[in-house]
Amino acid sequence: MSESTEALLRVEGLSTRFFTEQGQVNAVSDLDLRIDRGDVYGIVGESGSGKSVTARSIMDLIESPGEITSGEIWYRNGELAAAVEDDHGHAVDGSFVDLLEIPERVRRSLRGTSFSMIFQDPESSFNPSLTVGEQLAEAVEVQRRASANPRSTRARTRSEEYSLGSFVLSTMLPSKRYVSEESRERAISLLELVGIPDPVERADEYPHEYSGGMLQRAMIAQALAGEPDLLIADEPTTALDVTIQAQILDLLDELKRETGMTILLITHNLGVIARMCDRVGVMYAGEIVERGTLADVFDDHVHPYTHGLLGSIPDVERAGGRLEPIPGNVPSLLDREMGDRCRFADRCPKAMEDCLSHPPEVDAEGSDHHAVRCVLAERSYDESRALPDDYFGEPDRPAEAVDEPQSDDEPLPAERTQPTLEDAGGDGS
Amino acid sequence: MISDRLKANLKREFDRSLMAKLGLAIAIVILLLATFAPILATHNPTTTGQFDEHGNSYPPWGVTHETHTWEDGDDGRERISYTAEPSPDHYLGTNNIGQDVFSRLLYGARTSLLVGLIGTGLAAAVGVPFGLISGYYGGRIDDSMMRIADVMLAFPSLVLAIALIGVFGRSEQFIPDPIVMAGFADGMPEYAVLPGTVTLVVALVNWVWFARVARGEAMSVRSEEYVKAARSLGANNRTILVKHVLPNSLTPIIVLATIQVAAIILLESALSYLGFSGTTLSWGYEIQQGQDYLATAWWIATVPGIGIVLAVISINLLGDWLRDSLDPNIGGEGGV
Amino acid sequence: MSTDERLVRVDGLRKYFWENDSILDRLFGEEPVAVRAVDGVSFDVYEGETLGLVGESGCGKSTTGETLLALQEPTEGRVEFDGDDVYALGRDGLTAFRRDAQVVFQDPFSSLDPRMTIGEIVCQPLDVHDVATGTERTERVRTLLERVGLSADHLDRYPHEFSGGQRQRIGIARALALEPEFLVLDEPTSALDVSVQAQVLNLLEDLQSEFDLTYLLISHDLSVIRHSCDRVAVMYLGEIVEIGPVRDIFESPKHPYTRALLESVPRATTAERERDRETLSGDVPSPRDPPSGCRFRTRCPAVIPPDDLDLEQAQYRAIMDLRERIERRDVSLESVGGDRIAFDDGGVPERDVPAFVDALADRLLERELPPTHRDIVEEALAALAGVDWDEAAEVLRQRYESVCERRNPDLGEERHPVACHLYGLAADGSENGDR
Repeated sequence: MSESTEALLRVEGLSTRFFTEQGQVNAVSDLDLRIDRGDVYGIVGESGSGKSVTARSIMDLIESPGEITSGEIWYRNGELAAAVEDDHGHAVDGSFVDLLEIPERVRRSLRGTSFSMIFQDPESSFNPSLTVGEQLAEAVEVQRRASANPRSTRARTRSEEYSLGSFVLSTMLPSKRYVSEESRERAISLLELVGIPDPVERADEYPHEYSGGMLQRAMIAQALAGEPDLLIADEPTTALDVTIQAQILDLLDELKRETGMTILLITHNLGVIARMCDRVGVMYAGEIVERGTLADVFDDHVHPYTHGLLGSIPDVERAGGRLEPIPGNVPSLLDREMGDRCRFADRCPKAMEDCLSHPPEVDAEGSDHHAVRCVLAERSYDESRALPDDYFGEPDRPAEAVDEPQSDDEPLPAERTQPTLEDAGGDGS
Repeated sequence: MISDRLKANLKREFDRSLMAKLGLAIAIVILLLATFAPILATHNPTTTGQFDEHGNSYPPWGVTHETHTWEDGDDGRERISYTAEPSPDHYLGTNNIGQDVFSRLLYGARTSLLVGLIGTGLAAAVGVPFGLISGYYGGRIDDSMMRIADVMLAFPSLVLAIALIGVFGRSEQFIPDPIVMAGFADGMPEYAVLPGTVTLVVALVNWVWFARVARGEAMSVRSEEYVKAARSLGANNRTILVKHVLPNSLTPIIVLATIQVAAIILLESALSYLGFSGTTLSWGYEIQQGQDYLATAWWIATVPGIGIVLAVISINLLGDWLRDSLDPNIGGEGGV
Repeated sequence: MSTDERLVRVDGLRKYFWENDSILDRLFGEEPVAVRAVDGVSFDVYEGETLGLVGESGCGKSTTGETLLALQEPTEGRVEFDGDDVYALGRDGLTAFRRDAQVVFQDPFSSLDPRMTIGEIVCQPLDVHDVATGTERTERVRTLLERVGLSADHLDRYPHEFSGGQRQRIGIARALALEPEFLVLDEPTSALDVSVQAQVLNLLEDLQSEFDLTYLLISHDLSVIRHSCDRVAVMYLGEIVEIGPVRDIFESPKHPYTRALLESVPRATTAERERDRETLSGDVPSPRDPPSGCRFRTRCPAVIPPDDLDLEQAQYRAIMDLRERIERRDVSLESVGGDRIAFDDGGVPERDVPAFVDALADRLLERELPPTHRDIVEEALAALAGVDWDEAAEVLRQRYESVCERRNPDLGEERHPVACHLYGLAADGSENGDR
């Protein structure tokens, strides 16, 4: 690890599980992550890989039946460290604070001011009956109170101005506004910051008058209200058209350059990763299987999954030959079905006998940051040790209709987690 | 066709919810009592004139019944009181014309359930196809069909029901009672009485709910891609309605039907309370009969009242259980 | 692969949806509003080829596919399949058409009836058309399932037991059951993960050569289009703006929209961050009230200014955006200049007009303009000071009206036609410009 950069967030051994009726789903298992200040860190993976759960674990947004079962999330914030040191000395290490060891109350107060998150679907993130300006001003107000008194969550919502009574009054008396004029002006400047034309007029409009791209901008503005240290963007452009996606990516790029913000970008789109990120982690079945700089992962990848992922996307610049898909389906993350082997071995074209034990993460060639969870980093593929094709059952492996608990707040749709067929639609060719 | 998943959901919700267990237990008891009323009844419910030696109605078993009357005396008043002994002969006493309240309770349950189930069936038979067609075709057809439904909804259901009874006149259908016919219960009425007009009328008042729910479902199923797929295969509208739209709309309709049974039982009770029923073997009628005696013989009205309350609550609990089990948010697509 | 035999001919297809069109709306005298989902689309599909239909959401590509298959009533236009007019087919003709033309849908979760087993689903087309019987039918279903890469032992399973990719395979098997000639693939892979998408694309490719299928591939994903198509039609707001061989479209795109679309796609390579790209500004206008003339003109980075105009494109664009807003009356005049300028219904008092104009120009104009143009703009803004929207719009229109807003460019007839005034301005005759 280089010393020149400063880690903002260190995640160590994070495991998040969902306890469902079908059994325990290990959505994220033993995950390490280090995000440096000012970087854009990308996590890429298919649905069910645990990328969204990772983000939500950091934001403390895991809901029942999910639970963070182990791990440490160290967050660098000197002020916070000083503030919690007396009561929770064990949670402080220098200027780092372990977020999983501090009380819920304090942790919640970090949302918005230290971490904020933007989601895939901007429409459901706004209240349709309030104007966008009001909602932004409200966010500003909340963050202002929170930062005025970082350790008290009471102050944020229980003050006189923020009471239900004053809300009711505000609907009747225009003079008695729900939010102060100051917050409103800040809201307008936030809208301007995210590139919404005519922010003064737009602030008075309702969410349904916004287009999808504009709403996504407004959501980014909302996330920026508390000037967070880390912006977590969970599939921020997936619901958008390409031309609008390009606008939003430009915006994030610009904001990063101007404010030096740190971004954790979760996406399934390798193009978006290539466009935005300094570092990349490739997730598969709850683990980061390969990580490193953009060049490490895109050009010098070692893990066959990374290779397969890159080989699966058709190239927009060349008329391609045949695609090289990864056979099989995303695996079940049910605890009882997870053997102690490399989780990709059953779909891996280069599976060897060595893959039957779970590989540790090892350094790989390339930059200092390049690490991979695959035996191929240390020895080359040896056909004599290859596993027979039907080793994991014929013709592929058990297929699962398992989907990751997606970002749309459905913790884990029970019906999708049923262990199902004994067979998959394989490569089909 | 009940899928395994639905079974699992039903079972899970059942295990989880005390209310579901309670509802099912009461509903089963009521159903059994109603079905085997001729065997379980202690008296013919229509036999009158069973009073105690003082000419008073029997109180329920275990209750001592005191009647006080006052007559002129020295100080202007003299008190005479007598006590009726609790009677094991009439578990729940007798009513004002000396009929056995317990037996009438059982037969009242029969009437309520018959009207409830047949009425719901009729309402569904009219409402579901109406709603499915309206929702599936949409556009002008939907517009005009739903206006008809809106007109029905504009009238308070009781008023509408009374008006319809006024139009059709009261009627009763005599259905031979198989248990009596088979000779298991001598001395019981040979026919079960179904108040025909009332059954018809409650269906006419309530079909609109089925139409509305079915329409909503049909509209959402219509836009599903599998319906489009079926159309692209060349399937005609009738096939699509029967094979795709109906099965996929059934879940909320079943839940509605359950709750409608309770609603119709209430409506039937209200109608018979007001004297519009075709039979006297009805809980509502009993309450009406008993209300004048609340001070002296409270059980005449109270017993059928409790019957109504238990029936309606238990059916609603069943409905809640079904709804929770079929709710896609809890257990997936249901799958009846 | 493709021959010159024309299989499908779409001519001037229009599909409008009507809003405010119920009996009640009529009663209250509401005018129905047309949503012009597809507005005059013409193209041919040749036997054996894959024609791609690409565009952003709401451009009408899926509606085109469904209307073409007569799953939706067309508002206007003609579709010929094998030489027969599809909308004029009788009952038998339509049944035959349904056998020959099939569709695969986007959403693998909603395209399969959750209450049917996959055996029933794949068998459904055989039932409807009464093809084969008994064991022959079962045999055929088994063969189909195996052909698309599923095990025939799964006949009795329900769709929810399968993953997205497997469900899409089931959908493909159903579409193939009647041995069609023509398949409309409506976003067949956009709900799938990339690795599974690649499996499905490969499968579709194999099936095409095996069964001599003709595809109309509808997608918003340009890389999928590039990979799978022989020819591509690019749609924007209900119209085809460019159509041509896949190579020409991707390597020498003509229409500014096509170019912008291609540039917007992030490439999965390390060189992506350094790539030059020009991002389109603004949003797609509403199909309820599409712009006059060329529909792309409100976002176009190459709008054609009047001949004698000496302005940079960015400056011209700034003026055009301003015009647009004045025409939509989308400027809040009350708030201009804050408390300094009094504003009432009649407008701004005479003495405040210059200050008002300055403040408004400051807020609305994103570029510095040369003095002559600045004057014209100020004249228009001064009209706004008197709340005279029409006058303001007229002042700007007279000087800055573009050919792009007067006439809707036609799609030509050649091999790689494009609907844009930048190409063959003089050539496209006088019969257009109607709307």
